[in-house]
Amino acid sequence: MFETLLDDAAQNNAFRHIHPGTKILLGLGSLCICLVSPTPVVPVLSGLILSIVLLLPARIPARIYGELLLAPVVFSVFSIVVLLFMLGGGDVVWEFSPVSWIHLTITTNAVHQSVLILSRVFGCMVSLFFIALTTPLTDLFNMMKRCRVPVELIDLMMIMYRYIFIFYDQAKEIWQAQVMRLGYQRPKESIHSFSMLCGMLFISSWIVGEDLVRAMDCRCYNGIMPSLDPMEPVRMQSFIPVVLYLSGLGGIMVAILTGIVVFS
Amino acid sequence: MKIILEARDVSYHYPGDREAIKGISFHVKKGEKVALVGPNGAGKSTLLQMFNGMIRPGKGTILFDTEPIRYDASSLRQLRKRVGYVMQNADRQIIAPTVYQDVAFGPANLGYDENAIREAVALALRQVGMAGFERRPPHHLSGGEKKKVAIAGVLAMDPDILVFDEPTSGLDPSGSEELMELLDELNHEGKTIFISTHDVELAYPWADRVILLLDGKILEENVPAVAFGDPELVLKAHLSVPILLELSQELGRRGFAQPEQKPRSVLDMIHVIENLLHGTCCHATPGAIHVYNMDTGDIASVLALIRDRPDLCVGAMGTRAKMCAAKESISLSFTYGVIDKCILRSLRGQDSLILTTNAMVGRVGTRVDAYCTESGTIIRVIPVATGGGTGSPA
Repeated sequence: MFETLLDDAAQNNAFRHIHPGTKILLGLGSLCICLVSPTPVVPVLSGLILSIVLLLPARIPARIYGELLLAPVVFSVFSIVVLLFMLGGGDVVWEFSPVSWIHLTITTNAVHQSVLILSRVFGCMVSLFFIALTTPLTDLFNMMKRCRVPVELIDLMMIMYRYIFIFYDQAKEIWQAQVMRLGYQRPKESIHSFSMLCGMLFISSWIVGEDLVRAMDCRCYNGIMPSLDPMEPVRMQSFIPVVLYLSGLGGIMVAILTGIVVFS
Repeated sequence: MKIILEARDVSYHYPGDREAIKGISFHVKKGEKVALVGPNGAGKSTLLQMFNGMIRPGKGTILFDTEPIRYDASSLRQLRKRVGYVMQNADRQIIAPTVYQDVAFGPANLGYDENAIREAVALALRQVGMAGFERRPPHHLSGGEKKKVAIAGVLAMDPDILVFDEPTSGLDPSGSEELMELLDELNHEGKTIFISTHDVELAYPWADRVILLLDGKILEENVPAVAFGDPELVLKAHLSVPILLELSQELGRRGFAQPEQKPRSVLDMIHVIENLLHGTCCHATPGAIHVYNMDTGDIASVLALIRDRPDLCVGAMGTRAKMCAAKESISLSFTYGVIDKCILRSLRGQDSLILTTNAMVGRVGTRVDAYCTESGTIIRVIPVATGGGTGSPA
């Protein structure tokens, strides 16, 4: 249900009617700042502020957002543990040697680096989630078209997006039909059931594909996938806060870099 | 009337398969509503797909607008612009990821410019009552809404004839009735409509003409009362006699006098029964039918009327009237078969209100007039807000 959840959120949030360019600018802008920031303060700050923006004014349900964040958190925590031991430099903070030929050490530099990476992951993930949760894919297609991404590529993506949900429904139906007749009960039988599911999906996709060609022919297909959706203009009341936010974030980063503000 | 579509001795068989269509000839006149009725596997879909050149008959010719169909790419495109085909499964017909893009698909491929596309899409969505859904992705729509989008996608090309393969499959009963009303509305706007179905109850009151198809051959081609009236034929075609027709036949078998016109609606049937019982057929003072034309009147007077008269039952005819009612949060008692239901109420001595549009307002008068002349009753049709509520007897 995860993909439909994301799509629902993108369709129904309170920022739905803000020009996608503004939202993408905010998302990508803060993503870039988080990536280049040499201090963990900026990404953490950006992640927190964007999370609050997502939860309060954009009215993304907290549960969906929490579940979404959980996946990268688990992944990055595992990676950080590995990084802590792999990176070197600076003083040794902790040493561990279970067998004589294994020496695991954590150094100060490794801690700094890991914290920085963790904060960047957090900041960047939230930036990406901001785009994913507030901008429907269809708006992204429009923006890509404006950015001169090859039309063939966009057409393909649009058809794929349209059919993901049909494909997903079909897979679910077949799976339910199998479970109702006691499929997936034993390990060996599960493999058999799953292979049947794949086979059926292949056949039905083939049929759906043929129908797609027929449906397009019925409506005088001549190589054109229409056209931009009617789009709202860029509004200053959303665009200016974004610019202010990004310059503020950049400003904080520069201030920390040049030593005007010192965090230790 | 002009013939718009004609089949001359058409046959077809799928590669390596039995013959699906076995020498069929018929024609459809401009402005007609024709239902192709037959059991599953009778060849209905195959036949329909010949109308827009998706399938080329093995033998015989299909004529559109008295010209034989030509099968080169540019002629086919011209043909498909004029013969709109709505598939059975709306999910398969909707191609694009948003409603706007899907409805714009036809016009864009016909080479309309940006403004013309926008206009065509807006008009088509308004016609089916889906304005405001432009940015929605299809997987966020209900079955009935998807169907309407699929129809809008075809309407946007402004075809002369609309061909529907099983238009009501997968819709709930009130959704089906509303869809049939929509088809009526489109027919009133001048479109010829050809549907395939196996739902006799739906086809019987709706169609001007019925073609019964069995095993790739035409079993009968006639007005619905005759085509569905022969029990032997109906049994042979794996169909059933429409319940009203069966009831009327049964009354006939018991020696009750039969009207010339077979009853096609509950109203007709009530009329027949009341005539059989005591000659007169209604309440001493029949109720009035208020009619509100959304295109000329102002909504405030209707809202006032509804407030003053809580006993009034409100019905909406046409998609725009329904949308308006939803916007003003007027609760509707009738959304399909509205005129008949209001006449039935009148006969019980109760008043009702019909919300409708320019295109359909005439139908109320015509239908009520026809009923009044036939039955000798007087039902008042009162326009709201145009003449300050002065009543005129119909």
